[in-house]
Amino acid sequence: MSKQINVALIGNPNTGKTSVFNALTGLNQKVGNYPGITVEKKEGICKLPRGVKAHIIDLPGTYSLNASSLDENVVIELLLNKNDKDFPDVAVVVSDVENLKRNLLLFTQIKDLEIPTILVINMADRMSYKGISLDIPYLEAQLNTKIALVSTRKKNGIAELKELISNYKDLSITPCMNASEIDREYFDNLRKAFPNQLLYKLWLVITQDVNFGKTDRNEIDAVADFKTKSKADLKRLQQKETIKRYQFINNTLKKGQTIDLNTAKDLRIKLDRILTHKIWGYVIFLLILLTIFQAIYDWSSVPMDFIDTSFASLSEWTKNALPAGAFTSLLAEGIIPGLGGIVIFIPQIAFLFLFISVLEESGYMSRVVFLMDRGMRRFGLSGKSVVPLISGTACAIPAIMATRNIESWKERLITILVTPFTTCSARLPVYLIIISLVIPEGRFFGLGYQALTLMLLYLIGFGAALVSAMVLNKILKIKSKTFFVVEMPNYKLPLLKNVVLTVIEKTKSFVFGAGKIILAISIILWFLASYGPGEGFNNAEEIVKTEYAGQNLTDDELHEHIASQKLEHSFLGITGHAIEPAIRPLGYDWKIGIALVSSFAAREVFVGTLATIYSVGSDDEETIKNRMAGEVNPILGGPLFTFASGISLLLFYAFAMQCMSTLAIVQRETNSWKWPLLQLVIMSGFAYIIALIAFQLLK
Amino acid sequence: MNDTIQTILALIALALALSFLIKKFFWKKARTKKAFNDAHDCDKCH
Ligand SMILES: Nc1nc2c(ncn2[C@@H]2O[C@H](COP(=O)(O)OP(=O)(O)OP(=O)(O)O)[C@@H](O)[C@H]2O)c(=O)[nH]1
Ligand SMILES: [Mg+2]
Repeated sequence: MSKQINVALIGNPNTGKTSVFNALTGLNQKVGNYPGITVEKKEGICKLPRGVKAHIIDLPGTYSLNASSLDENVVIELLLNKNDKDFPDVAVVVSDVENLKRNLLLFTQIKDLEIPTILVINMADRMSYKGISLDIPYLEAQLNTKIALVSTRKKNGIAELKELISNYKDLSITPCMNASEIDREYFDNLRKAFPNQLLYKLWLVITQDVNFGKTDRNEIDAVADFKTKSKADLKRLQQKETIKRYQFINNTLKKGQTIDLNTAKDLRIKLDRILTHKIWGYVIFLLILLTIFQAIYDWSSVPMDFIDTSFASLSEWTKNALPAGAFTSLLAEGIIPGLGGIVIFIPQIAFLFLFISVLEESGYMSRVVFLMDRGMRRFGLSGKSVVPLISGTACAIPAIMATRNIESWKERLITILVTPFTTCSARLPVYLIIISLVIPEGRFFGLGYQALTLMLLYLIGFGAALVSAMVLNKILKIKSKTFFVVEMPNYKLPLLKNVVLTVIEKTKSFVFGAGKIILAISIILWFLASYGPGEGFNNAEEIVKTEYAGQNLTDDELHEHIASQKLEHSFLGITGHAIEPAIRPLGYDWKIGIALVSSFAAREVFVGTLATIYSVGSDDEETIKNRMAGEVNPILGGPLFTFASGISLLLFYAFAMQCMSTLAIVQRETNSWKWPLLQLVIMSGFAYIIALIAFQLLK
Repeated sequence: MNDTIQTILALIALALALSFLIKKFFWKKARTKKAFNDAHDCDKCH
């Protein structure tokens, strides 16, 4: 068997590492036009020429080997640990042709670790546009390396890169800079104390500790005759190192790179001036949001109606086609309506993801980050918190993981704690169904009331996150420094393939993830609703018949009364009535109460639960929406959802912490149960109070 | 006869549903404590 070689893709954020990774491995990892997309190691296999197999590792972006955030630390820990099973046989440093100077800093550092290194200069398709030309042979000689000029977008240079990787044994491992140049005396001492170690590696281990305090330095302290310098001294040396490296890079690029500014077209500066303008920036952002929410409504109404009626007739058909019995009812009244409750939202969810992914890919999202950075600071967040807050619109879990690129622990903790307020896609179905029931369909300057309400709910979520961040910032007594690196990526035409993949990927994981839970819960609910203890359930027929004996009821009416008598006295009905006192002040009946409780596992269960509860025992197969609209509120007598109870429920869902998986992730990322439990109690308590106030004021 | 089969099928569905939920919400928690870097994408959110 041929040997498998380890190849690590390393580079500054947003240089296209993951794009190169996908090109080499044929996988589809997430690519996005802002820094910090990849926060964890990802692996894949690539077949190279002459039967060599490469194990490719995609890493989070890092600006230098002097790490300051958790995701950057992943890279350094890998490179400093020769025994790691992933330790690279060859490092591929991916750089962006437009930011070569900054990108080469990291390259020279990796070179000095004496790891065989290939330099990929990516985004070659932008060279003519920017008037850049490169003298590749000269650069190769100066940097002691092999260079592959690649454009993953035009699919150029990948074959050459594979060829270079397979010949990795020929790569020179001569460093770019002699580490002792940083400070002769200090490094001479270091060499004497550790004669067998690579100087630059030692230096990194020592300074790593200064920056991060994580890597174990006992080994070094143990050598008695070696005097470590003070932290301030080490910092100064680090700066000196950076300056030396830039001197070297500048000299190299002076000859190796020419930029003809006359041919360079720069739309970017003009666009940036408007998009990040203090006033126009916000106006444009708001307009974009309005358009998005209106489009979500306008474009998806047709497919949604189609899905809704299809599920209703599927239920009907099942009932007629299969022999009557418990399993048939389970299918027709439990499983099919339950699943319909989630499938119906696929169009809207897919459109939302489509817009978000176009905004990300085009580079606009980073302008929003920049625009808001100033404001965010006042709330105790950094501009980088915007990325989690925005990706929280899909799901809080990846969003909370995306906080790993926030350097300051305090800012990171605050971001983790407030991210669940952003409106995730699981809230969307709940919002949509309630909005369609209580908000009129009219329009106001071409904007539908329903779309405006939805947008308002998104803004409320975002606002709640900001306000609670401000409060946490005041309360939490954690000292930590803040750094500022918001990098503005270039504008790019979104690549259709990336956008489509993201939409499919996210929609799929939403539907299947949610679908499985909803399926399971609707089965259980059906059982609880179809069986019950005692007289009230078992003798439902007689009880109803004696009760209505005097009145002349039609068969249908009688049937309906029996069904509802049964439901009220089923296991589910009894539980529901037990919790009713707690939710009655909010304007909800026991059925909503059940839906509310079951959605503490995951919010999207709400609609499926109601669909199942309302289907059990009923004969005519109606669409979910009609059924909910027709239900009568036992407290007020009118429709189940009045304006007041609808708004109250919307607000409850906006604030409550109803997602077990998010709690588990918060526990993992903060390494304590304290934070997720606080989140659960405070958010849900707050939601209850707000919903209570809303209902009492509006009713 | 037919009724018995239907009931058995329904009960099997119930058993599957229960075991799925228990596995999802009660087993995973024990595992997530130590796991830091295994694959987790959106599939854990639901
Ligand atoms: N024009 C052009 N754009 C590219 C090329 N390769 C990648 N991109 C774009 O560059 C952006 C960043 O790509 P990624 O692959 O996510 O970059 P990354 O280095 O993995 O980023 P992080 O994981 O955030 O560090 C995306 O918008 C890509 O579509 C290229 O060859 N040409
Ligand atoms: Mg990446």
